[in-house]
Amino acid sequence: MIQIKGTLFAFYTTITVAAIIFGVLWATKSGKIVPHIRRIAGLDAIEEAIGRATEMGRPVHYTMGWGPLTTSDSPQTFASFSVLTYVTSLVAKYDAELIVTMMSPQAFPLVQELVRTSFMAAGKADMFKEGTVRFLSEAQFAYAAGVIGIFHRDKVAANLMFGYFMAESLIFAEAASQAGAIQIAGTGSMAQTPFFVAACDYTLLGEELYASGAYLSQDVNQLGSIAGQDVVKLATMLFILCGAVLATIGNPWLSNLLKK
Amino acid sequence: MRREIPLIITFVVGITLLSSYFFSGTIPGTTWVLAKVATDITGWGIIVTAFAAGLASVNLIRIHAEKIARKRQDWINSVALVVSLAVFFVVGVYVKHYPKNISMRTFSQNIFDNIYSPYGAAMFAILGFYVASASYRAFRARSFEASLLLGAAVLMMLGSAPIGVLLWNQFPIISGWLLNVVNSTGQRGINIGLAIGAFATAMRLLIGLDRGHLGSGE
Repeated sequence: MIQIKGTLFAFYTTITVAAIIFGVLWATKSGKIVPHIRRIAGLDAIEEAIGRATEMGRPVHYTMGWGPLTTSDSPQTFASFSVLTYVTSLVAKYDAELIVTMMSPQAFPLVQELVRTSFMAAGKADMFKEGTVRFLSEAQFAYAAGVIGIFHRDKVAANLMFGYFMAESLIFAEAASQAGAIQIAGTGSMAQTPFFVAACDYTLLGEELYASGAYLSQDVNQLGSIAGQDVVKLATMLFILCGAVLATIGNPWLSNLLKK
Repeated sequence: MRREIPLIITFVVGITLLSSYFFSGTIPGTTWVLAKVATDITGWGIIVTAFAAGLASVNLIRIHAEKIARKRQDWINSVALVVSLAVFFVVGVYVKHYPKNISMRTFSQNIFDNIYSPYGAAMFAILGFYVASASYRAFRARSFEASLLLGAAVLMMLGSAPIGVLLWNQFPIISGWLLNVVNSTGQRGINIGLAIGAFATAMRLLIGLDRGHLGSGE
Protein backbone atom coordinates (compact mmCIF):
# COMPACT_ATOMS: atom_id res chain seq x y z
CA MET A 1 0.00 0.00 0.00
CA ILE A 2 1.21 3.53 -0.78
CA GLN A 3 0.56 6.59 1.38
CA ILE A 4 -1.71 9.05 -0.43
CA LYS A 5 0.01 12.43 -0.80
CA GLY A 6 -1.14 15.04 1.70
CA THR A 7 -2.48 12.56 4.26
CA LEU A 8 0.70 11.80 6.22
CA PHE A 9 0.06 14.33 8.97
CA ALA A 10 -3.62 13.31 9.22
CA PHE A 11 -2.55 9.65 9.47
CA TYR A 12 -0.12 10.23 12.33
CA THR A 13 -2.61 12.53 14.05
CA THR A 14 -5.26 9.79 13.85
CA ILE A 15 -2.84 7.25 15.35
CA THR A 16 -1.70 9.67 18.10
CA VAL A 17 -5.22 10.79 19.06
CA ALA A 18 -6.46 7.19 19.12
CA ALA A 19 -3.43 6.19 21.26
CA ILE A 20 -4.11 9.01 23.75
CA ILE A 21 -7.83 8.20 24.02
CA PHE A 22 -7.24 4.46 24.46
CA GLY A 23 -4.35 5.11 26.87
CA VAL A 24 -6.58 7.22 29.14
CA LEU A 25 -9.37 4.67 28.69
CA TRP A 26 -7.03 1.90 29.86
CA ALA A 27 -5.94 4.02 32.85
CA THR A 28 -9.62 4.60 33.73
CA LYS A 29 -10.47 0.91 33.49
CA SER A 30 -7.51 -0.01 35.69
CA GLY A 31 -8.62 2.59 38.27
CA LYS A 32 -5.63 4.92 37.88
CA ILE A 33 -7.89 7.74 36.71
CA VAL A 34 -11.38 8.40 38.07
CA PRO A 35 -13.09 10.71 35.55
CA HIS A 36 -15.84 13.05 36.60
CA ILE A 37 -18.23 14.74 34.18
CA ARG A 38 -19.54 18.12 35.31
CA ARG A 39 -23.28 18.51 35.71
CA ILE A 40 -25.17 18.86 32.42
CA ALA A 41 -28.50 20.52 33.21
CA GLY A 42 -30.14 19.44 29.95
CA LEU A 43 -29.53 15.76 30.64
CA ASP A 44 -30.65 16.06 34.26
CA ALA A 45 -33.88 17.64 33.02
CA ILE A 46 -34.85 14.61 30.89
CA GLU A 47 -36.32 12.79 33.90
CA GLU A 48 -38.24 15.93 34.90
CA ALA A 49 -39.62 16.24 31.35
CA ILE A 50 -40.75 12.60 31.23
CA GLY A 51 -42.23 12.88 34.73
CA ARG A 52 -44.18 15.96 33.62
CA ALA A 53 -45.48 14.13 30.54
CA THR A 54 -46.58 11.21 32.74
CA GLU A 55 -48.47 13.52 35.11
CA MET A 56 -50.20 15.22 32.18
CA GLY A 57 -51.03 11.88 30.54
CA ARG A 58 -49.49 13.06 27.29
CA PRO A 59 -46.74 11.49 25.16
CA VAL A 60 -43.00 12.12 25.01
CA HIS A 61 -41.66 12.77 21.51
CA TYR A 62 -38.09 11.86 20.55
CA THR A 63 -36.31 12.69 17.31
CA MET A 64 -32.73 12.24 16.15
CA GLY A 65 -33.23 14.53 13.13
CA TRP A 66 -31.60 13.31 9.94
CA GLY A 67 -30.16 10.26 11.69
CA PRO A 68 -27.27 9.72 9.28
CA LEU A 69 -25.27 6.48 9.68
CA THR A 70 -22.70 6.78 6.91
CA THR A 71 -21.57 10.40 6.91
CA SER A 72 -19.19 12.44 9.03
CA ASP A 73 -22.20 13.49 11.12
CA SER A 74 -23.13 9.93 12.05
CA PRO A 75 -21.36 10.01 15.47
CA GLN A 76 -24.18 12.37 16.49
CA THR A 77 -26.71 9.67 15.62
CA PHE A 78 -24.80 7.09 17.67
CA ALA A 79 -24.63 9.53 20.59
CA SER A 80 -28.39 9.97 20.21
CA PHE A 81 -28.88 6.19 20.50
CA SER A 82 -27.43 6.33 24.03
CA VAL A 83 -29.84 9.11 25.02
CA LEU A 84 -32.76 7.24 23.47
CA THR A 85 -31.91 4.11 25.46
CA TYR A 86 -31.99 6.19 28.64
CA VAL A 87 -35.24 7.92 27.62
CA THR A 88 -36.89 4.58 26.85
CA SER A 89 -35.88 3.17 30.24
CA LEU A 90 -37.39 6.23 31.97
CA VAL A 91 -40.58 6.03 29.88
CA ALA A 92 -40.87 2.37 30.90
CA LYS A 93 -40.24 3.27 34.55
CA TYR A 94 -42.95 5.96 34.59
CA ASP A 95 -45.40 4.11 32.29
CA ALA A 96 -45.48 7.11 29.97
CA GLU A 97 -46.06 7.04 26.21
CA LEU A 98 -43.14 7.35 23.81
CA ILE A 99 -43.29 8.41 20.16
CA VAL A 100 -40.03 8.22 18.21
CA THR A 101 -40.24 9.75 14.75
CA MET A 102 -37.67 8.84 12.13
CA MET A 103 -36.43 10.51 8.99
CA SER A 104 -33.61 8.09 8.22
CA PRO A 105 -34.70 4.73 6.80
CA GLN A 106 -31.17 3.44 7.48
CA ALA A 107 -31.41 4.07 11.20
CA PHE A 108 -35.07 3.05 11.45
CA PRO A 109 -34.60 -0.73 12.01
CA LEU A 110 -31.79 -0.01 14.50
CA VAL A 111 -33.99 2.37 16.48
CA GLN A 112 -36.94 -0.04 16.43
CA GLU A 113 -34.71 -2.78 17.84
CA LEU A 114 -33.11 -0.42 20.36
CA VAL A 115 -36.45 0.79 21.74
CA ARG A 116 -37.94 -2.72 21.74
CA THR A 117 -34.98 -4.22 23.64
CA SER A 118 -34.88 -1.27 26.05
CA PHE A 119 -38.53 -1.85 26.94
CA MET A 120 -37.80 -5.57 27.31
CA ALA A 121 -34.82 -4.88 29.55
CA ALA A 122 -37.11 -2.76 31.74
CA GLY A 123 -39.61 -5.66 31.91
CA LYS A 124 -42.22 -3.70 29.91
CA ALA A 125 -42.10 -5.45 26.52
CA ASP A 126 -45.82 -4.77 26.00
CA MET A 127 -45.16 -1.02 25.94
CA PHE A 128 -43.51 -1.35 22.52
CA LYS A 129 -46.13 -0.96 19.80
CA GLU A 130 -46.04 -0.62 16.03
CA GLY A 131 -46.53 3.14 16.34
CA THR A 132 -43.87 3.70 19.01
CA VAL A 133 -41.17 4.18 16.37
CA ARG A 134 -42.62 5.83 13.27
CA PHE A 135 -40.91 6.42 9.97
CA LEU A 136 -42.44 9.57 8.49
CA SER A 137 -40.48 10.57 5.41
CA GLU A 138 -36.97 10.85 4.08
CA ALA A 139 -37.78 14.31 2.67
CA GLN A 140 -36.80 17.08 5.08
CA PHE A 141 -39.94 19.22 5.03
CA ALA A 142 -42.36 16.32 4.61
CA TYR A 143 -40.83 14.92 7.79
CA ALA A 144 -41.12 18.32 9.48
CA ALA A 145 -44.80 18.54 8.49
CA GLY A 146 -45.42 15.05 9.89
CA VAL A 147 -43.75 15.92 13.19
CA ILE A 148 -45.78 19.15 13.56
CA GLY A 149 -48.94 17.10 12.98
CA ILE A 150 -47.95 14.71 15.78
CA PHE A 151 -47.19 17.62 18.15
CA HIS A 152 -50.67 19.05 17.68
CA ARG A 153 -52.73 15.86 17.32
CA ASP A 154 -51.10 13.92 20.17
CA LYS A 155 -50.41 17.05 22.26
CA VAL A 156 -46.90 15.98 23.23
CA ALA A 157 -45.80 17.16 26.67
CA ALA A 158 -42.07 16.69 26.16
CA ASN A 159 -40.04 17.07 23.00
CA LEU A 160 -36.52 15.62 23.05
CA MET A 161 -34.24 16.34 20.09
CA PHE A 162 -30.78 14.79 20.03
CA GLY A 163 -28.76 14.27 16.85
CA TYR A 164 -28.00 15.94 13.56
CA PHE A 165 -30.46 18.62 12.48
CA MET A 166 -30.74 21.16 9.70
CA ALA A 167 -33.40 23.80 8.93
CA GLU A 168 -36.18 21.69 10.46
CA SER A 169 -34.70 22.28 13.94
CA LEU A 170 -36.53 25.59 14.49
CA ILE A 171 -39.75 24.25 12.96
CA PHE A 172 -39.75 21.46 15.55
CA ALA A 173 -38.74 23.69 18.44
CA GLU A 174 -41.33 26.38 17.75
CA ALA A 175 -44.16 23.97 16.90
CA ALA A 176 -43.52 22.00 20.12
CA SER A 177 -43.36 25.25 22.07
CA GLN A 178 -46.80 26.20 20.68
CA ALA A 179 -48.07 22.75 21.73
CA GLY A 180 -46.85 23.54 25.26
CA ALA A 181 -44.10 20.92 25.42
CA ILE A 182 -40.98 21.12 27.57
CA GLN A 183 -38.02 20.86 25.21
CA ILE A 184 -34.50 19.53 25.51
CA ALA A 185 -32.17 19.51 22.52
CA GLY A 186 -28.60 18.64 21.66
CA THR A 187 -26.87 18.80 18.30
CA GLY A 188 -23.40 18.95 16.86
CA SER A 189 -24.68 21.04 13.99
CA MET A 190 -23.30 24.50 14.73
CA ALA A 191 -25.76 26.30 12.45
CA GLN A 192 -28.75 24.90 14.35
CA THR A 193 -27.47 25.36 17.91
CA PRO A 194 -28.57 29.05 18.10
CA PHE A 195 -32.13 28.05 17.12
CA PHE A 196 -32.24 25.44 19.85
CA VAL A 197 -30.77 27.89 22.39
CA ALA A 198 -33.43 30.44 21.44
CA ALA A 199 -36.42 28.10 21.43
CA CYS A 200 -35.74 25.21 23.83
CA ASP A 201 -35.80 25.01 27.62
CA TYR A 202 -32.43 23.21 27.74
CA THR A 203 -29.79 22.86 25.04
CA LEU A 204 -26.67 20.72 25.02
CA LEU A 205 -23.80 22.66 23.50
CA GLY A 206 -21.26 21.13 21.13
CA GLU A 207 -19.54 18.03 22.44
CA GLU A 208 -21.96 17.70 25.38
CA LEU A 209 -23.99 15.54 22.99
CA TYR A 210 -21.07 13.10 22.71
CA ALA A 211 -20.64 13.10 26.49
CA SER A 212 -24.33 12.36 27.08
CA GLY A 213 -23.94 8.59 26.76
CA ALA A 214 -21.18 8.54 29.37
CA TYR A 215 -23.04 10.96 31.63
CA LEU A 216 -26.28 8.98 31.59
CA SER A 217 -24.86 5.47 31.71
CA GLN A 218 -21.69 6.11 33.80
CA ASP A 219 -20.16 3.33 31.66
CA VAL A 220 -16.43 3.15 32.35
CA ASN A 221 -15.55 2.76 28.64
CA GLN A 222 -17.39 5.93 27.74
CA LEU A 223 -16.16 7.85 30.80
CA GLY A 224 -12.56 6.91 29.99
CA SER A 225 -12.98 8.01 26.42
CA ILE A 226 -14.38 11.39 27.54
CA ALA A 227 -11.35 11.85 29.81
CA GLY A 228 -9.14 10.95 26.83
CA GLN A 229 -10.91 13.61 24.75
CA ASP A 230 -9.98 16.21 27.37
CA VAL A 231 -6.30 15.25 27.12
CA VAL A 232 -6.51 15.52 23.32
CA LYS A 233 -8.17 18.94 23.68
CA LEU A 234 -5.35 20.11 25.93
CA ALA A 235 -2.77 18.88 23.40
CA THR A 236 -4.71 20.62 20.60
CA MET A 237 -4.70 23.90 22.54
CA LEU A 238 -0.93 23.66 23.01
CA PHE A 239 -0.56 22.87 19.31
CA ILE A 240 -2.65 25.92 18.35
CA LEU A 241 -0.61 28.10 20.72
CA CYS A 242 2.67 26.85 19.18
CA GLY A 243 1.22 27.47 15.69
CA ALA A 244 0.20 31.02 16.61
CA VAL A 245 3.66 31.80 18.06
CA LEU A 246 5.51 30.29 15.07
CA ALA A 247 3.23 32.07 12.55
CA THR A 248 3.75 35.35 14.42
CA ILE A 249 7.55 35.07 14.21
CA GLY A 250 7.28 34.02 10.55
CA ASN A 251 8.38 30.40 10.98
CA PRO A 252 6.50 28.17 8.43
CA TRP A 253 7.59 24.84 9.99
CA LEU A 254 4.22 23.90 11.49
CA SER A 255 2.12 25.04 8.51
CA ASN A 256 4.42 23.01 6.23
CA LEU A 257 4.02 19.99 8.52
CA LEU A 258 0.21 20.23 8.28
CA LYS A 259 0.39 20.06 4.49
CA LYS A 260 2.37 16.78 4.45
CA MET B 1 -23.34 -14.14 17.98
CA ARG B 2 -26.24 -11.73 17.47
CA ARG B 3 -24.07 -8.91 18.83
CA GLU B 4 -20.65 -10.19 17.77
CA ILE B 5 -21.32 -10.42 14.01
CA PRO B 6 -22.39 -6.73 13.67
CA LEU B 7 -19.33 -5.73 15.71
CA ILE B 8 -16.98 -7.71 13.43
CA ILE B 9 -18.61 -6.22 10.32
CA THR B 10 -18.31 -2.70 11.83
CA PHE B 11 -14.61 -3.23 12.55
CA VAL B 12 -13.70 -4.67 9.14
CA VAL B 13 -15.72 -2.10 7.17
CA GLY B 14 -14.53 0.80 9.35
CA ILE B 15 -10.84 -0.09 9.12
CA THR B 16 -11.10 -0.64 5.34
CA LEU B 17 -12.77 2.71 4.70
CA LEU B 18 -10.42 4.53 7.08
CA SER B 19 -7.38 2.96 5.37
CA SER B 20 -8.68 3.93 1.93
CA TYR B 21 -8.49 7.60 3.01
CA PHE B 22 -4.77 7.29 3.80
CA PHE B 23 -3.50 4.59 1.42
CA SER B 24 -3.81 3.46 -2.19
CA GLY B 25 -2.75 0.22 -3.93
CA THR B 26 -3.61 -3.36 -3.04
CA ILE B 27 -4.42 -4.76 0.39
CA PRO B 28 -1.27 -6.62 1.65
CA GLY B 29 -1.38 -10.35 0.92
CA THR B 30 -4.22 -9.97 -1.60
CA THR B 31 -4.79 -8.66 -5.12
CA TRP B 32 -7.70 -6.50 -3.98
CA VAL B 33 -7.36 -2.80 -4.77
CA LEU B 34 -8.18 -0.84 -1.60
CA ALA B 35 -10.01 1.99 -3.40
CA LYS B 36 -12.20 -0.52 -5.27
CA VAL B 37 -13.01 -2.44 -2.08
CA ALA B 38 -14.01 0.87 -0.42
CA THR B 39 -16.22 1.77 -3.41
CA ASP B 40 -17.85 -1.68 -3.33
CA ILE B 41 -18.57 -1.34 0.40
CA THR B 42 -20.19 2.04 -0.24
CA GLY B 43 -22.31 0.37 -2.94
CA TRP B 44 -23.39 -2.33 -0.47
CA GLY B 45 -24.40 0.48 1.85
CA ILE B 46 -26.75 1.83 -0.82
CA ILE B 47 -28.32 -1.64 -1.23
CA VAL B 48 -28.80 -1.97 2.54
CA THR B 49 -30.37 1.51 2.56
CA ALA B 50 -32.83 0.43 -0.15
CA PHE B 51 -33.93 -2.55 1.97
CA ALA B 52 -34.17 -0.28 5.05
CA ALA B 53 -36.36 2.12 3.04
CA GLY B 54 -38.63 -0.82 2.19
CA LEU B 55 -38.92 -1.75 5.88
CA ALA B 56 -39.62 1.86 6.82
CA SER B 57 -42.34 2.13 4.15
CA VAL B 58 -44.00 -1.01 5.52
CA ASN B 59 -44.07 0.64 8.96
CA LEU B 60 -45.58 3.80 7.48
CA ILE B 61 -48.27 1.89 5.58
CA ARG B 62 -49.17 -0.33 8.56
CA ILE B 63 -49.59 2.63 10.92
CA HIS B 64 -51.75 4.58 8.47
CA ALA B 65 -53.73 1.55 7.28
CA GLU B 66 -54.68 0.86 10.90
CA LYS B 67 -55.67 4.51 11.34
CA ILE B 68 -57.90 4.33 8.24
CA ALA B 69 -59.40 0.99 9.26
CA ARG B 70 -60.33 2.27 12.74
CA LYS B 71 -61.35 5.70 11.40
CA ARG B 72 -59.21 7.48 14.00
CA GLN B 73 -58.90 11.27 14.26
CA ASP B 74 -57.85 12.86 10.92
CA TRP B 75 -57.93 9.47 9.15
CA ILE B 76 -58.60 11.23 5.86
CA ASN B 77 -55.00 12.57 5.98
CA SER B 78 -53.80 8.98 6.17
CA VAL B 79 -55.81 8.17 3.03
CA ALA B 80 -54.08 11.08 1.25
CA LEU B 81 -50.69 9.80 2.41
CA VAL B 82 -51.23 6.19 1.33
CA VAL B 83 -52.68 7.23 -2.06
CA SER B 84 -49.78 9.68 -2.65
CA LEU B 85 -47.25 7.01 -1.69
CA ALA B 86 -48.84 4.51 -4.09
CA VAL B 87 -49.03 7.01 -6.98
CA PHE B 88 -45.43 8.24 -6.54
CA PHE B 89 -44.21 4.64 -6.27
CA VAL B 90 -46.03 3.35 -9.36
CA VAL B 91 -45.18 6.39 -11.48
CA GLY B 92 -41.54 6.40 -10.30
CA VAL B 93 -41.00 2.71 -11.09
CA TYR B 94 -42.78 3.03 -14.46
CA VAL B 95 -40.70 6.04 -15.54
CA LYS B 96 -37.50 4.30 -14.47
CA HIS B 97 -38.34 1.24 -16.62
CA TYR B 98 -39.91 3.07 -19.58
CA PRO B 99 -37.96 6.35 -19.81
CA LYS B 100 -39.08 6.90 -23.42
CA ASN B 101 -42.74 7.28 -22.43
CA ILE B 102 -42.90 11.07 -22.63
CA SER B 103 -46.44 11.52 -21.28
CA MET B 104 -45.65 9.50 -18.14
CA ARG B 105 -42.37 11.37 -17.64
CA THR B 106 -44.20 14.67 -17.96
CA PHE B 107 -46.84 13.49 -15.48
CA SER B 108 -44.10 12.42 -13.05
CA GLN B 109 -42.34 15.79 -13.39
CA ASN B 110 -45.64 17.65 -12.98
CA ILE B 111 -46.65 15.95 -9.75
CA PHE B 112 -43.17 16.66 -8.40
CA ASP B 113 -43.09 20.31 -9.53
CA ASN B 114 -46.72 21.18 -8.82
CA ILE B 115 -47.55 19.16 -5.71
CA TYR B 116 -44.43 18.09 -3.85
CA SER B 117 -42.24 21.18 -4.37
CA PRO B 118 -44.86 23.80 -3.32
CA TYR B 119 -45.55 21.85 -0.11
CA GLY B 120 -41.83 21.78 0.67
CA ALA B 121 -41.50 25.49 -0.10
CA ALA B 122 -44.50 26.28 2.14
CA MET B 123 -42.92 24.40 5.04
CA PHE B 124 -39.64 26.24 4.50
CA ALA B 125 -41.50 29.56 4.42
CA ILE B 126 -42.99 28.85 7.87
CA LEU B 127 -39.42 29.17 9.16
CA GLY B 128 -39.57 32.92 8.63
CA PHE B 129 -42.42 33.26 11.14
CA TYR B 130 -40.80 30.83 13.54
CA VAL B 131 -37.55 32.84 13.50
CA ALA B 132 -39.52 35.94 14.52
CA SER B 133 -41.42 34.22 17.36
CA ALA B 134 -38.32 32.39 18.66
CA SER B 135 -36.29 35.62 18.56
CA TYR B 136 -38.98 37.46 20.50
CA ARG B 137 -38.89 34.88 23.30
CA ALA B 138 -35.10 34.52 23.32
CA PHE B 139 -34.33 38.25 23.28
CA ARG B 140 -36.45 39.17 26.27
CA ALA B 141 -33.88 40.44 28.77
CA ARG B 142 -34.82 38.13 31.65
CA SER B 143 -31.25 37.25 32.67
CA PHE B 144 -27.72 38.54 32.20
CA GLU B 145 -27.07 36.01 29.39
CA ALA B 146 -30.33 36.93 27.61
CA SER B 147 -29.40 40.62 27.90
CA LEU B 148 -26.02 39.90 26.31
CA LEU B 149 -27.79 38.05 23.50
CA LEU B 150 -30.18 40.96 23.03
CA GLY B 151 -27.32 43.50 23.01
CA ALA B 152 -25.32 41.48 20.46
CA ALA B 153 -28.41 41.01 18.27
CA VAL B 154 -29.20 44.74 18.30
CA LEU B 155 -25.61 45.61 17.36
CA MET B 156 -25.61 42.99 14.59
CA MET B 157 -28.89 44.32 13.17
CA LEU B 158 -27.69 47.93 13.32
CA GLY B 159 -24.47 46.88 11.62
CA SER B 160 -26.29 45.08 8.81
CA ALA B 161 -29.30 47.33 8.21
CA PRO B 162 -28.78 50.56 6.19
CA ILE B 163 -30.30 52.66 8.99
CA GLY B 164 -27.44 51.61 11.31
CA VAL B 165 -24.81 53.21 9.07
CA LEU B 166 -26.91 56.36 8.84
CA LEU B 167 -27.11 56.58 12.63
CA TRP B 168 -23.40 55.91 13.28
CA ASN B 169 -20.87 54.73 10.72
CA GLN B 170 -19.05 52.61 13.33
CA PHE B 171 -21.92 50.09 13.68
CA PRO B 172 -20.75 47.90 10.74
CA ILE B 173 -17.23 47.78 12.25
CA ILE B 174 -18.59 46.73 15.66
CA SER B 175 -20.87 44.10 14.14
CA GLY B 176 -18.01 42.84 11.96
CA TRP B 177 -15.81 42.50 15.05
CA LEU B 178 -18.58 40.63 16.89
CA LEU B 179 -19.05 38.28 13.95
CA ASN B 180 -15.41 37.66 13.00
CA VAL B 181 -13.71 37.76 16.39
CA VAL B 182 -16.12 36.92 19.22
CA ASN B 183 -18.42 34.63 17.23
CA SER B 184 -15.67 32.90 15.21
CA THR B 185 -13.57 32.24 18.32
CA GLY B 186 -16.45 30.61 20.14
CA GLN B 187 -17.54 28.60 17.09
CA ARG B 188 -14.04 27.31 16.42
CA GLY B 189 -13.65 26.24 20.03
CA ILE B 190 -16.94 24.34 19.90
CA ASN B 191 -16.03 22.86 16.50
CA ILE B 192 -12.70 21.53 17.78
CA GLY B 193 -14.48 19.93 20.74
CA LEU B 194 -17.09 18.47 18.38
CA ALA B 195 -14.45 17.01 16.06
CA ILE B 196 -12.59 15.36 18.94
CA GLY B 197 -15.86 14.06 20.40
CA ALA B 198 -16.92 12.64 17.02
CA PHE B 199 -13.51 11.01 16.60
CA ALA B 200 -13.64 9.38 20.05
CA THR B 201 -17.20 8.14 19.40
CA ALA B 202 -16.11 6.69 16.04
CA MET B 203 -13.12 4.95 17.65
CA ARG B 204 -15.32 3.42 20.38
CA LEU B 205 -17.74 2.16 17.72
CA LEU B 206 -14.92 0.82 15.58
CA ILE B 207 -13.48 -1.40 18.26
CA GLY B 208 -16.84 -2.31 19.77
CA LEU B 209 -16.56 -0.44 23.07
CA ASP B 210 -19.75 1.50 22.32
CA ARG B 211 -22.60 -0.96 21.73
CA GLY B 212 -25.54 1.34 22.39
CA HIS B 213 -26.84 0.92 18.82
CA LEU B 214 -27.17 -2.84 19.30
CA GLY B 215 -29.86 -2.43 21.92
CA SER B 216 -29.96 -3.35 25.58
CA GLY B 217 -29.74 -7.12 25.04
CA GLU B 218 -32.41 -9.64 25.92
